[in-house]
Amino acid sequence: MTSAEGKAKRADPPLMGLWLVQLFISDELIDEVQGDLEEIFQDRVECKGLSRARMHYFKDAVLSIRNANLRRKRKLTQNNSYPMVKNYVKTTFRTLAKNKVYSALNIMGLALGLAACLFIVQYVDYEYSYDKFHSNHENIYRVKYMVYRSGNLDIDCAAAVPRVGPFMKENMPEVEDFVRAFPMQEIFEKNNIQYRESRVQVVDPSFLTMFDYPLIHGDRESALEGPYKLVITETTAKKYFGKSDVVGETLKMHSWLTDEPKDFEITGVTADVPNNSHLKYNILVSYETINSRTRNDDGTISSENAWGWYDFNTYVSLRDGVDPTEFDAKFAEVLYEERKEDFEKYDFRADFPLQPITDIHLYSNLLQESEPQEQGDGDTVFFLSMIAIFILVIAWINYINLSTAKSLERAKEVGVRKSMGAHRRQLINQFLVESFVLNVIALTLAIGIVIIFTPLFGRLVDIEFTRAFFTQPKFWVAVVSILALGSILSGVYPAFVLSSFRPIEVLKGKLTSNHSGIFLRRGLVVFQFAASVTLIAGTLIVYQQLRHMKTHDLGFEMTDTFVMEGPNRGDSTYSVRLKSFYSDLESRSIIGGVAGGSNVPGSEIFWTRGMRQSADTEDKNVICYLVGVDNDYFPTLDIDIVAGRNYDQDITTDTVNVIVNMSTVRSLKISSPEEAIGVRITVGGDERTIIGVVDDYQQLSLKNTINPLVFPLLEDASGYIITKLNTDNYQLALKEIKESYDEFFPSSPFDTFFLDEFYNRQYVNEQNFSQAFTLFALFAIIVACLGLFGLTSFTALQRTKEIGIRKVLGAEVSQLVMILSKEFMILVGIANVISWPIVFLIMNGWLNTFTSRISIGIPVFLVSAILVLLIAIISVGYKTLSTAKGNPIKALRYE
Amino acid sequence: MKGDKLGEFEELILLTVASLGKDAYAVSVKDELENRAARTTNISAIHSSLYRLEDKGFLTSEFGGATSKRGGKKKRYFQVTNAGITVLQEAKNLREKYWASIPQLTFAGI
Repeated sequence: MTSAEGKAKRADPPLMGLWLVQLFISDELIDEVQGDLEEIFQDRVECKGLSRARMHYFKDAVLSIRNANLRRKRKLTQNNSYPMVKNYVKTTFRTLAKNKVYSALNIMGLALGLAACLFIVQYVDYEYSYDKFHSNHENIYRVKYMVYRSGNLDIDCAAAVPRVGPFMKENMPEVEDFVRAFPMQEIFEKNNIQYRESRVQVVDPSFLTMFDYPLIHGDRESALEGPYKLVITETTAKKYFGKSDVVGETLKMHSWLTDEPKDFEITGVTADVPNNSHLKYNILVSYETINSRTRNDDGTISSENAWGWYDFNTYVSLRDGVDPTEFDAKFAEVLYEERKEDFEKYDFRADFPLQPITDIHLYSNLLQESEPQEQGDGDTVFFLSMIAIFILVIAWINYINLSTAKSLERAKEVGVRKSMGAHRRQLINQFLVESFVLNVIALTLAIGIVIIFTPLFGRLVDIEFTRAFFTQPKFWVAVVSILALGSILSGVYPAFVLSSFRPIEVLKGKLTSNHSGIFLRRGLVVFQFAASVTLIAGTLIVYQQLRHMKTHDLGFEMTDTFVMEGPNRGDSTYSVRLKSFYSDLESRSIIGGVAGGSNVPGSEIFWTRGMRQSADTEDKNVICYLVGVDNDYFPTLDIDIVAGRNYDQDITTDTVNVIVNMSTVRSLKISSPEEAIGVRITVGGDERTIIGVVDDYQQLSLKNTINPLVFPLLEDASGYIITKLNTDNYQLALKEIKESYDEFFPSSPFDTFFLDEFYNRQYVNEQNFSQAFTLFALFAIIVACLGLFGLTSFTALQRTKEIGIRKVLGAEVSQLVMILSKEFMILVGIANVISWPIVFLIMNGWLNTFTSRISIGIPVFLVSAILVLLIAIISVGYKTLSTAKGNPIKALRYE
Repeated sequence: MKGDKLGEFEELILLTVASLGKDAYAVSVKDELENRAARTTNISAIHSSLYRLEDKGFLTSEFGGATSKRGGKKKRYFQVTNAGITVLQEAKNLREKYWASIPQLTFAGI
């Protein structure tokens, strides 16, 4: 038999067994043991068959583990390693105590960096936690509503139409359930006390079963069945009744849902809506209520059958494992089958793509979001995560920098240890232990800082953090991984540098300066400062943009403007009472003007219609937004009329006329505002004549584009009552207005705001963002400066002799300072140059999200460069100055 | 010293090695134990005892040839040392002394 044949015929023992033997048997014995096992195996193959032989082999291998200790050579490090580690820890504390300033700098730098990082982790974790408290959140989607007209996206809306939910459930087997939520703002009354409730949602009964809003009282399945039923939150219950178990009680609701204000029965109480829910409510109204109101003569119900009323936030839950993209494609076909007649006739397409409920908070910015002010921004969150990593890296770099710079001092220790017989591995272990100990101290400090300052931080970014974050396993996993990564990353380099010293050289004192790490150190300083400059310049730009937005000419005047939300309409005498209220206000000297409108600047308009020139065909319709105004609306808000005239009290035919904004003129394809005067347009079926064109003022924030607006005349338009104050004494004005209001509308709630505050609330996210940004930029620069300070201290120390000689030879203090700080100044300069393009790229991207933005100018870079340079000079200067001023005799004697 | 005494299994192994002469290695010891003493043992136990006995100085070993059946791996042949012979002898003497002192009566009872 040739060996080739032999190999071909050979049966192989199981790999697992071979591997086990390899792993456990010592190198000395491995050959013979494997040989013996193999021999027995081959015997067994012959008499018992391959599979049993393999099983036996495996058993033998497992049993051979008992021989793991046979003839094994002892390893060096296994000898009493515990006392050595103890010794390392002891040396660490001695080194720390020896140079307290250095140690404090090092630990503080690391602690601040870690704290900043943990703060951001906390923030980012919160932002990502939105809507994840629903146990089925992975399968719940919101149905978007998109309308394309002649191929262009016309509507991109968070609220869909009433029909689509039921239609999906009827036609798509993948859909488990659906919920519609129709937002309202209405007045509720109990014992003649009225409150305006802004978070009212008319919802399907399945709302309570699909979502996880915990019901405290009432029955989850049936609470919202039938008309005129309410489910309210605990806080709301306490507000009206002073207790939480209010099932069976009633609240009177003033709304268009009923002809007369009507008592609604409370059938359930839920816990308050968690802050990290994108959909918020105080009161839920049963869906049957709206159905009994919108029943048409032909038996259809608008709030069940309408395909065009897009105010209904619609959510569906899909069965496990359904792919939403495939679902979208499939549903598009089903929808086309159903609606093709309308699609073809009016030349438009509607689309209802699904949006994961967990994406809504961070990645959605549509029309009619449930809480538009609260919408987060995924990019910002990502950006902050990057900053967190930046700061952490800066802090670690500090540690590396300081340790290597300090290596000279430790060199002797290393030399002694080595000549006493320490292995290089042991020295590396020692410095790793050292870095671990330092990291533990810093991390403990950092956690302390974070726990103490979390409430403050929460106020800064406008989030209520709970302490629960710190008890999550997630948090501790993050902490431990930061610790492990930090100890290794920041420990490895110094450990290798320090352990590489040759004992004879260092003990003879030949090693006077450590050139090996100098490039790395310089590189690290440049990186640190580049990061700091980037953050500072970024902060400056964010502030500039914010100021730009707040001082930008918005096209209307909002200073000294006081706004009341409209009173309860009540009975038919409302118009008359409103008029008398207006004239009462106007008669007062502190009031400069009063006007009413269905919206004010800064409030989202939900009243939309299709609009076209009356001469055109229906397929030319474009979407426009309507604001009902009275005669005084434009003058009071100081909105310019660019062509034509304002509504006139004396011209009674003005109710069939209309005023529009410039954007409308453009979307109607009229070339100039003057030409628009007299043009007849059809808005939602009504024909009107344009008599005036107003300037494109910023109805919403600068983040939004200016939409076509149409302002029909409504004499008693009073969603908001706008008053212009003639005085700075707001308190007095408020008191007078309230007195008058209570006289004319005795039981109506008095809800008010100042227009500028209200309008600027749209920038609350940017404001928070800029504050957080500033905070972290501050962190970064402090940490970088601590590092720079430490680093200069050591270079100054190294050059003590040189400075002494220079001084003896007649150098001035200023020259010495120059010599000492030159290097760092150059490094900081380089850092500046590196960071400029980075700042430009990142911030340009951010600014592009605004319709009106500043351009990034040179001053920003100059200011941040000077700022960083100044800070660097201060941190470098202190130490260099004291070294340069020192007595040269001392310096020359130093050794 | 603890290492001076033999356990029952160790004694058996030592005897087997001695009886196998020049052909004693782990697998042959295992086979011999099975055939002669009807003791089925796992190879790992044999290994463990053989190496321990060698450490105690009762066995010496040398490498022998490799066969293809063993996947080209060497064998280690064991031989009993003088110390091994002595310790076996001692164990045997001890037993014989006991046997001699057992009264005949006991056997009569069978």
